[in-house]
Amino acid sequence: MEYNLEVINLTKNYQDFNLKQINIKLPTGKIIGLIGENGSGKTTTIKAILNLMTYDKGSIKIFGKDSINLTKKEREQIGIVLDDSFFSPILNVNDINKLMKDFYSNWNEKLYYDTIKKFKIPCNKPLKEFSSGMKMKIKVLCAIAHEPKLLILDEPTNGLDPIFRYEIIELFNNFVSNGENSILMTTHITSDLEHLADEIIFIDEGSIILDVPKDKIDNEYGIIELLEDDLTKIKKEDYLKCLKYKNECYILVNPKDEFHKKYSKLDVRKPTLEEMMLMLVKGE
Amino acid sequence: MNTIKGLLLKDLYVFRNFKGNIIFSIIMFIILIAIGSMQNDIFTIGSILFLIFFGMNSISSFSYDENADSDKYLLSLPTTRKDIVLSKYLFVFLNSFISILVGILVSFIITILVRGKVANLGDSLRICFLAFTSVSFLMCANVPCIYKWGVEKGRMQSVIIPALFIFLLGMFGSILLLLFPQIYLNIDLLYVFKISPYICLVLNILFYVISYLISYRIFLKKSI
Repeated sequence: MEYNLEVINLTKNYQDFNLKQINIKLPTGKIIGLIGENGSGKTTTIKAILNLMTYDKGSIKIFGKDSINLTKKEREQIGIVLDDSFFSPILNVNDINKLMKDFYSNWNEKLYYDTIKKFKIPCNKPLKEFSSGMKMKIKVLCAIAHEPKLLILDEPTNGLDPIFRYEIIELFNNFVSNGENSILMTTHITSDLEHLADEIIFIDEGSIILDVPKDKIDNEYGIIELLEDDLTKIKKEDYLKCLKYKNECYILVNPKDEFHKKYSKLDVRKPTLEEMMLMLVKGE
Repeated sequence: MNTIKGLLLKDLYVFRNFKGNIIFSIIMFIILIAIGSMQNDIFTIGSILFLIFFGMNSISSFSYDENADSDKYLLSLPTTRKDIVLSKYLFVFLNSFISILVGILVSFIITILVRGKVANLGDSLRICFLAFTSVSFLMCANVPCIYKWGVEKGRMQSVIIPALFIFLLGMFGSILLLLFPQIYLNIDLLYVFKISPYICLVLNILFYVISYLISYRIFLKKSI
């Protein structure tokens, strides 16, 4: 299998936070969703991948090559969206086009302006006059208009309304459809990944606590809603996590078929990623 | 090279934001120099005023970058830390250089129009070059402070460090004067003034190279 990105045993120690042994293998044609609470280590991982910070242990390979040794041409094959960083807000869409032409030899001006038109973004307004959703659209556009092979996206759907999010998700799906491109995407809006991600990596307090194909979550994990009193009827070893809320109880099970055989009277349904996240972090 | 061009262009767009202020200030300066020239030859003062007023504006490009946290984004593009620091120094230099050139040109034209000629043009240009070198010194002391502490936090250090440097240089000169007074008696100040453009040229190169190396070292170690 060919990988566009490999993060191997990435470790970074801060005074009050440690990133522990992060492993990510992103094959061509796939989308990995990196999820977790705020401050769990998602952005630190992205920063390490982009060489914005040093790390203590591990290695990062992009297109099979150590990320530090990538040539300018190879770096042109990467598209980036950072949630909290972009050009100065006094620049407009036309200015950004002129700048990007200098940064990327393969900058596709036609694709850029066609998508600007499709997104109905005014060309002469400075960025500071745009909504956060509009700004995010421009960021995403800047990440794809040089036709990269790898997209690294830090919270790309932040601030977007559902229609914008749908448009952008559609854009990402088209991006990987050629089988050669890949996306690593962090988000805490987990619903965006439901129909997008091939694999989910869940980071909590600097460690990966779950790394599974999305299909596996859909097919093998199950969630059961029951009254707190009924919980006593279920053996502790038959479920992974339990979350109590008011008088109700939610339990996470894997594999759900086996659970269903044992407890056929209980309704087992597919968990959403948000529920998975909540259960794994807050569940007992 | 294209990357440097892109980075310079980015900083240039910042200036466009206060295009109106710049044009208004230039017109005001032209009027002031024209009025002043009626009384005295103020070619040198006019040129230096341009340099001081416009030549140090490049610092604002650091503020804009800091506010938008642009360095993080720029480093994720196919640019290097070296490109970013180099482009900043080019921008700082070009901004001061163009300011003094425009100042000289505007003051020269006005002085010729009002007074018919510029008295001691050669000496006046030497003084302008000395002023340019002083501004280079200040800017070159400022930029590493900005890279180290940021625009806001580095404001105090940007004043203290060059002041401390000048103070130490003055102390060193005073000690030398006390120890070897004959050296000073033998110095031909007129000759030093005559060759001052060459001394300034060397100093400018030194200031920019040393400052660039310090800033690059700071930026290289910085977690963005």
